[in-house]
Amino acid sequence: MKTLITLIITSILSFLVSQVQANPSLKKDFKIGDPGIASIHKMTFGPAGILFIGDSKAAQVVAIDFSEHPTLDNSKVKLDNLDKLISDMMGTTIDQIQITDMAVNPANNNIYLSINHSSGVPILLRVEDNVLKQVPLDNVSFSKTTLLDPISEEAKDKRGRKLRKWAVADIKYIDGKLLLSGLSNKEFASTFRSIDFPFGDTQDYSSLEIYHAAHGKYETHAPIKTFIPTTINGKSQVLAGYTCTPLVIFPMNKIKSGEHHKGRTVAELGSGNSPIDMIEIENEGNRYLLIANSNRALMKMDFKDLEAYQGSLTKPVVKKGAAEGVEYVNLPYVNVQQLDRMGDNGFIIIQRESSGNLALKTGNSWWVK
Amino acid sequence: MKYLFSALLIVVGYGMFGQTSQNFTFNKNEVIISKDISETKNIIVFNGEVTEEETSSSTPILGKIKEKENTVYFIPLVPFGWNQKYTVFYNHTIRYFSLPIPKDYESLKISKIFPSASRLPSNILKWYIKFSKPINKNNIYKYIRFVSDSGDTIPRAILPLENALISDDGTLLTIWVEPGRQKRNLIPNKQLGSVFSNNKKYQLVISKEIKDTNGVSMLEDFYKQFIIINADRNKPNIRNWQIKIPIADSMSDLLIYFEESIDYGSSIDNILILDDKGQSVKGDCTLLNEEKIFSFKPKKQWKKGKYEIYFDSAIEDLAGNNLNRLFDDEIHNTSKIITPSQNHKLEFIIK
Repeated sequence: MKTLITLIITSILSFLVSQVQANPSLKKDFKIGDPGIASIHKMTFGPAGILFIGDSKAAQVVAIDFSEHPTLDNSKVKLDNLDKLISDMMGTTIDQIQITDMAVNPANNNIYLSINHSSGVPILLRVEDNVLKQVPLDNVSFSKTTLLDPISEEAKDKRGRKLRKWAVADIKYIDGKLLLSGLSNKEFASTFRSIDFPFGDTQDYSSLEIYHAAHGKYETHAPIKTFIPTTINGKSQVLAGYTCTPLVIFPMNKIKSGEHHKGRTVAELGSGNSPIDMIEIENEGNRYLLIANSNRALMKMDFKDLEAYQGSLTKPVVKKGAAEGVEYVNLPYVNVQQLDRMGDNGFIIIQRESSGNLALKTGNSWWVK
Repeated sequence: MKYLFSALLIVVGYGMFGQTSQNFTFNKNEVIISKDISETKNIIVFNGEVTEEETSSSTPILGKIKEKENTVYFIPLVPFGWNQKYTVFYNHTIRYFSLPIPKDYESLKISKIFPSASRLPSNILKWYIKFSKPINKNNIYKYIRFVSDSGDTIPRAILPLENALISDDGTLLTIWVEPGRQKRNLIPNKQLGSVFSNNKKYQLVISKEIKDTNGVSMLEDFYKQFIIINADRNKPNIRNWQIKIPIADSMSDLLIYFEESIDYGSSIDNILILDDKGQSVKGDCTLLNEEKIFSFKPKKQWKKGKYEIYFDSAIEDLAGNNLNRLFDDEIHNTSKIITPSQNHKLEFIIK
């Protein structure tokens, strides 16, 4: 019965999403030109081929229409020595570039890589037929909004903003909202923003904080490293991974401007590690959470286990490096640096293989069946 | 533009394809070829030295071709690097070039470090490194480490952010000392302990391998020595701060004496001086004496009257305790409304 209800809800949601995709009003504010992107830190695709770019340097989010890129079959993509390949394309050395993110357009399977070069020039690349192509950003259909903090009453001369940097840690889109997590150099605080799309004048700022499982006394102020908006037990939730690897659930409807929330910690994934990327994959009616990590293998968690876990971790993890809470399995992919969904039920990774080769490749979907 | 190095290369042909002599120029931002020697507009540039046989299997550098009068330009997407080899391929002709670092090139240096004091609390949270010019921010934290007195690098001492916190001008880098270890009772703190121990000496080491935006390294490693003292578990209290009131009709500095070293990043732009009409007094701010003194130099002479100094609640001491709360904040409610910034202000009168 529960499965049936879930199926019905999913069908309704899918219908609504398709209506949104067909809604041309999403791009009504778009104009052609140069959005003035200064850096690409994080990217995510929304509906209708819109790529959202978190630009920390220019303190803005830019939405670009890439719906006209051709539909591709990237199911067999494999690019070896990716760092060398990109540095050759830039005419530079490997240490002068950084792959900041990877995003796949679910509508047409185009894979996009964002690169920062030491000169500060932001670069977007697209994979087609196993070849990297530059995507020019100076003449695109776009709209954008600022990430600057509102000026406080006392900061009448804008003092205090010069040094303030807000580095976008992750960015996701769901149901007309763009969600961003980030860290400021001013305060160690977990700021979380919700911005309506199409962009308007209002932004909601929340503070999503956690009790660490080791104690119940001190709040951490730790920033959210990566997150996904998802549905858990029929409710809209944000599933967030923190720098010191607790996995925490926040109800979406609680993310309101100016409010401060403590999430429910559902798993400790072992200290000495930081989550890098997180995706949800659905396959044959089963939903899985994949988590790429800085110092652990790619983890797979079954949503059934996640939904069944009703508690909140409050007891200390005594054993060094041990995991607690919702169970997961380690998939045979280590040093996964970027992760995204590919196609209906697959995934794509950028992985530093044991040979030293940095490879862009699809993951074997056998692991998520 | 100072380093826009341009070189005229007279190439004595290699005898290939009957071309015996050609010339082209290049600089950091372009390769220029006279049209009379470039039959087609197609100029391909490769990273490193590539033979003609290898050109079909090598990856060309991204760039634009422009044609103007009798000249064809190749403009790379990002500037060419110093001391790197490049290959130009046009008209079935291969030529090589590189750009030597100019002799008068000013190498990257570290101009300031905050905190500048040599005695620091064990729960110190942030460091700021001011560079002489914009830096290459890619993977920058791997060039920075803390070393114990015995010479061992302290593992997990720095929060490794994917997107480095660098000021807009690219010269000021913020480093977070691993907050999970500095904050009591978190798992990293429980399992690894605080990053620093009392009464021990340490060094902040910045590798000379760190590079500027041109890809040029520093000339030598940088070291900042410090000794660790007791943790700071108190909020800064502006009521304990002393003001040296400037003299009327003078350009003298307004000085605020903190009772301790204050965090540079959260304080330097967060102190506002208003005159009796509520207008912001313009001036330059600096931190002196190991960031224990805030100095404000006005643009115009001080007038007699009443002034207010506003302190943003985000101003922190070296341990991340701000005017409103401790970094190790004990909370009792599961959810609460964030309290709006309290007004932290001091008044003074110039007679």
